[in-house]
Amino acid sequence: MFTHSIRRRLVIGSVALTATALALAGCGRSSDSPSTGSQATTTVSEGPATGNLTVWAMGTEGENLPKLVEQFKQANPGVNVTVTPIPWDAAHNKFTTAITANTLPDAAMVGTTWMGEFADLGALDPTPQGFDNSGFYPGALDTTKVGGTQYGVPWYVETRLVFYRKDLAAKAGFSTPPTDWDGLKAMAKAMKDKAGAKYGINLQPGGTGSWQTVMPFAWSAGANITGDDPKSFTFDTPEMQEGLKYYQSFFTDKLAGTDLPPNQTEAQFVSGQVPMFISGPWMAGSVAKAGGDAIKPNIGVFQLPKNKTATSFVGGSDFVVFKASKNKDSAWKLVKWLSDAKTQASWFKLSSDLPAVKSAWQDPSIASDPLLPVFGKQLDDAKAPPAIVNWEQIAVQFDTEVEKMAKAGQSPADTAKAIQAKATAIGAGGS
Amino acid sequence: MSFTDIKQRDLRTPFAVNGVGFGNYVKAFQDETFRKAAFNTAYFVVLGVPLTLVVALAAAVLLDRGVKRFQALFKVGYYLPVVTSIVAIAVIWRFVLAPDSGLLNTVLGWVGIDGPNWLASKTWAMPSLIAMAVWRNFGSAMIIFLAGLQGIPQSVEEAGQIDGAGPWQRFRHLILPLLRPTILFTSVTTGIGYLQFFEEPFVMTQGGPLNSTISVSMYTYNQFGFGNYGLATSMAYILFVVIAVITFIQFRLLREK
Repeated sequence: MFTHSIRRRLVIGSVALTATALALAGCGRSSDSPSTGSQATTTVSEGPATGNLTVWAMGTEGENLPKLVEQFKQANPGVNVTVTPIPWDAAHNKFTTAITANTLPDAAMVGTTWMGEFADLGALDPTPQGFDNSGFYPGALDTTKVGGTQYGVPWYVETRLVFYRKDLAAKAGFSTPPTDWDGLKAMAKAMKDKAGAKYGINLQPGGTGSWQTVMPFAWSAGANITGDDPKSFTFDTPEMQEGLKYYQSFFTDKLAGTDLPPNQTEAQFVSGQVPMFISGPWMAGSVAKAGGDAIKPNIGVFQLPKNKTATSFVGGSDFVVFKASKNKDSAWKLVKWLSDAKTQASWFKLSSDLPAVKSAWQDPSIASDPLLPVFGKQLDDAKAPPAIVNWEQIAVQFDTEVEKMAKAGQSPADTAKAIQAKATAIGAGGS
Repeated sequence: MSFTDIKQRDLRTPFAVNGVGFGNYVKAFQDETFRKAAFNTAYFVVLGVPLTLVVALAAAVLLDRGVKRFQALFKVGYYLPVVTSIVAIAVIWRFVLAPDSGLLNTVLGWVGIDGPNWLASKTWAMPSLIAMAVWRNFGSAMIIFLAGLQGIPQSVEEAGQIDGAGPWQRFRHLILPLLRPTILFTSVTTGIGYLQFFEEPFVMTQGGPLNSTISVSMYTYNQFGFGNYGLATSMAYILFVVIAVITFIQFRLLREK
């Protein structure tokens, strides 16, 4: 769970960075029209990839990627690919140092929230023509775009659903999962009143990354992080307040707790103390690990409840080629191959990372899973924050204000106002 | 650096950096979180340093007077936390401070007290970290006190005994004044270490809940992490100046007269 939460954070961070990078790269360019200025500096040639390629990837992806790349080498005998695994917690530093020192690899996996920053630093090569962008989930594709230019491609995705205990839901009188805000609230209440839970649902009362759970509700209420101008924030809107108010109500109604110890989500789910939470696909595995075979049939997931929309959060990683690469043509061939539906399906089997390409979800290994197809459906309505260079800093302020709201009773209106003021003071970044 | 608006991305284009004068310092003091961090650090130092020194001195005196046979064993025991990795210490203290199953709350439960969720409480998180820091750090001050105590000749105490002074009087009027240089040294080193308070909140609370345990060092670290090098450097300088001033005061107060 620890590594997962780090991974999630990094992934989100990379998205923000991308935005930053775009803004930076714009130093000379952003005042012109960025979409025409930096698009398609390269095109991918026909024929097999050749030469030497160095690739960086983080965490378990870094360990598993060499196995996948073997298949690429078989199809392209003239190429030699070296994969360097990097630990997640050292990755961001390693990338920024390498960007400054010009010692980047040819291609790399990049957390979605870093994209803005790296593009801002001028490190990323814009995606050449000839990629089938319509095959990607739209929320995932958005994470590759910084200021209107696409850098790299989405590689794998994750999104958040509501996890619930099927057996306890039946006890609470819910045979089908709720679909709207009132329904979710009623279910949390019934879990507490009728199914003996301590709290109906586990919601993060502020703290690192809590914005990932709060923003879906705000998005669903129609809120946005920025206006049409990506540099002006819109945190203080009635829609944002509505999302915050709904989130806070779970704490004021004692349906969610502010006093739960961290990293106990799985254990409390298994014990039935807190039979619902909102999280990503990896939690199915960690709950099963905590509860054994007995819990497996009782794990259920459903899409986020609907207000105006039913929007969730999308995270994951993108795959990019660096401008400094001496073998860009072959590097883009590798990236293109990685984003192929067939490759994505075999990658899922190797890594259990969910494919960013929609058609790969038809592979039986995913389609026949009891839970995964629901994630696929949710991905059709899932968002990432816009690529803002300073997003990580703004997210910290967001998390702090949410904590004040959940724990100290700060009103949703004041919370929205405070986030807006702090985000404006920090600024979107870039130049 | 602290007088410029340098950001991480400027490392590639150093000529784009602008001078901002004392702007970063003004910004730091206007920052609500920085002020909170300064308050927390002061709270930690004001409570933590005296507590650590008193515990260390008490332990040193007990060791000095105690059964010599077990002295080495206790010395090792008290000193062990100092050399233990903070990661291992964090695991132990999380267990001690855990709300439901924790050691501390279980013991409190025996006497009918319903213990709080130590690390998640705005009121109790800081005292918990202070207790942890005292436990972790008193060993090094204790070793120095012990050396200081053993450097006092036996004859001094015998002279006091002959003059009819009780144990407390002997300690208060003979031993303590002779320990003055040792106290100066330990209070300066402990004070500097505690002003740089970082590891405990970093591993235990990440500065939460509601920024109630964030320290100046940790906030500076965060700002570096965000790439705000100019602002972070000015915060580091502020801390440096505070440490210098406090150390100077300690020297004035405690030096040999």
